[in-house]
Amino acid sequence: MSKPQAIIVGAGFTGAATAHDLALRGFDVTVIERGDICNGTSGRTHGLLHCGGRYAVKDQESAIECIDENILLRKIVPQVIEPNGGLFIALNESDLQYRDVFIQGCEACHIPLEELTPEQALRLEPNINPKLLTAFLIPDGTFDPLRLALSFAATAKKNGAKFRIFTEATSLILDGKGGVIGVNILDRASNKPYELRADIVVNATGAWAGEIAEMAGASVPVKPTPGVMVAYDQRFVQRAINRLNTPGDGDIVLPQRRMVVVGTTSFEIDDLDYVPVLEDHVKLMLERGAELIPGIRNARVRGKYMATRPLISSGSGRSAARTFKCYDHKETHNIDGLVTITGGKATTLRAMAEGTADMVCKKLGLNAPCTTKDVLLLSYRQYYSLPN
Amino acid sequence: MENQRNRPSPSKFWTWFNPIGRETGGWAFILNRVTALGLVFYLYIHLLVLSQLAMGPQAYDNFLALMSNPMIIFGEVLVVAAGIIHGLNGIRIVLTTFGVGVTRQKQLFYGLMAVALIAAFVFAFRMFTA
Amino acid sequence: MSENWNITLKVSRQKEGEKPHFDEFKIEVDPDEYVLDAVERVWAFMDRTVCFRHACHHSTCGACGMRVNNVEKLTCITYIRDVTHDGGVLKLEPLRNFPIISDLAVDMGSLYNRLETVGVRAILPAPEAEIENPPATWDSADQQYIRLADCIECGLCISACPSAATSSEYLGPAVLAGVQANGIKGNPEMLNIVDAEDGVWRCHSAFECTAVCPSYVDPARRIMNLRTQVIKERFTRLFHKA
Repeated sequence: MSKPQAIIVGAGFTGAATAHDLALRGFDVTVIERGDICNGTSGRTHGLLHCGGRYAVKDQESAIECIDENILLRKIVPQVIEPNGGLFIALNESDLQYRDVFIQGCEACHIPLEELTPEQALRLEPNINPKLLTAFLIPDGTFDPLRLALSFAATAKKNGAKFRIFTEATSLILDGKGGVIGVNILDRASNKPYELRADIVVNATGAWAGEIAEMAGASVPVKPTPGVMVAYDQRFVQRAINRLNTPGDGDIVLPQRRMVVVGTTSFEIDDLDYVPVLEDHVKLMLERGAELIPGIRNARVRGKYMATRPLISSGSGRSAARTFKCYDHKETHNIDGLVTITGGKATTLRAMAEGTADMVCKKLGLNAPCTTKDVLLLSYRQYYSLPN
Repeated sequence: MENQRNRPSPSKFWTWFNPIGRETGGWAFILNRVTALGLVFYLYIHLLVLSQLAMGPQAYDNFLALMSNPMIIFGEVLVVAAGIIHGLNGIRIVLTTFGVGVTRQKQLFYGLMAVALIAAFVFAFRMFTA
Repeated sequence: MSENWNITLKVSRQKEGEKPHFDEFKIEVDPDEYVLDAVERVWAFMDRTVCFRHACHHSTCGACGMRVNNVEKLTCITYIRDVTHDGGVLKLEPLRNFPIISDLAVDMGSLYNRLETVGVRAILPAPEAEIENPPATWDSADQQYIRLADCIECGLCISACPSAATSSEYLGPAVLAGVQANGIKGNPEMLNIVDAEDGVWRCHSAFECTAVCPSYVDPARRIMNLRTQVIKERFTRLFHKA
């Protein structure tokens, strides 16, 4: 009985995690990626392991996903996480007015929180704004983006998955009856085209999901929404620092190695493949970051860049839901053999993979339950030592 | 990924000798190896020349005449300089190997090479005026 | 902001089975951008066949290392202003001492394998991560925190090392620096791995690794310190073996 063949297009968080899930369920998985692992949106996340507090008021579905996955990731892949928690701090009256709904929201989403006095908060984090009015300690964390994906990819490889980088999907192979049966590929490293056939093609290209879906004549309501990130060259804090208020621009600062990263903004674009850094966005990050950590004004910029979120358009910009969605294109456009997974956030990558793999198994009539909650991931370095 | 076993060998000269893009430490490394090669070469020539002395009194006179040739004296200055440079840099390497002055290895190099330069000039002066 | 420059990107190209050559791309840049931004624009707008590695764009992933005008750099944090001038050339080559996958992308598998074999820690307690060059904010109260190690495993040190150029078996600066951070006290297996021809003794003090490291690791100093640790361990074992 041969294994069902799956091709996953895109080796970001979703692609790597889905490869891991499907490999565990007995699939023969090939992941194709036109660049190297995480060279799209996933690599550029600032790395906040969300506790869900940010969404606990307006988007509780996302918030609950976040806290559940936060706890799971700490268990299955601790080797890439700085697990030092986080703070939500209030700096003015507007922030203080958010306090009550924040507490209610977190409690409704079973996010553990502890309110601190300003003195207690400053003892934990001496570099935050000394004028803070109150603070909440919550279980945020910081992860290394590439290494998180590599950990999933390494474990997937151990279970037989193959990763082909610098391998671009040029078009989908259609069976003439409205179904997808494979992918036409260009290997950029050798400049040679070839074909890959599969029982199912998973479109895990995130912000680019629309482009791949179009190859089959389908579409997905994904709105590429970039935002800026600025990294400064000093590790001012040990925890993620969030602004206590409705989600806005530049309200997250988190530590990563010897830096802090401030993010982000939100705007719409048309051309995904290159998003220039907008200086006024960078300036805004400096202003907003310095509100949380005044020392940022004296730090040097180490890096600044844009990352394009895949938002599912139900509303726009900040009001769009941050949750993820799997699309079975047989149901959306009567195109068999293709599913798309998009939306979501880095913190929920395992859950996104579970949803996608569940849909794939259902489509192929396979009874293979998800086991990723209990499987500890291999060291990310093994991605390089395990053969393809 | 090919399994090429790349081992050190004389044929790899251009891989380590490449001075492009190097900083002070890399220059010191190259200089040390070049002076080492120079000194070994000198040793070989020295033994070759000395073996001529076993050929009798005429050979000895030829030898003395050769030794007062300014080109040869200049060559000997280079040998002395190479010895001093290699020796002082060697001391720097011994120090850094034992953790002394690692963070100031560049300054150590410049300082010692200044000493070497002065010493080389002193020796050159004495050898040409002897 | 500053005025734009017109520069020429000279990109090393090598596809499977072909000979390496350079392609030139004339491009307009803001000198306060990063070298990686210029490479990305060449890929996005001029030549989609250019292969290069990049992920985080803020010096934590270690993917985007290249030789920029003959010197190893992490291109996501290297300002164009620092490596060329208006009307100048930006020569981009892949890292040395690693097999080339394509164009500017190299296969760093050997580095990752060795790091894994010797057990270099990717995350560690904050005081250990910062014990040398501690940042201004370090405090003894930070004992409890765990953070990602300084070494981002970018391979610049191995590319710059002349000993690594002549010996592919040499463990290399990054790996030895990682072993130093772990310590080898009471660890005979690790002692034998580093006290070997291709361990600490293959280093010939070129200090190029520290010169190019973008991440405060200072591998040269760590290798020298590891030698001291090796000598101490050998001494101790000599007297305790009886």
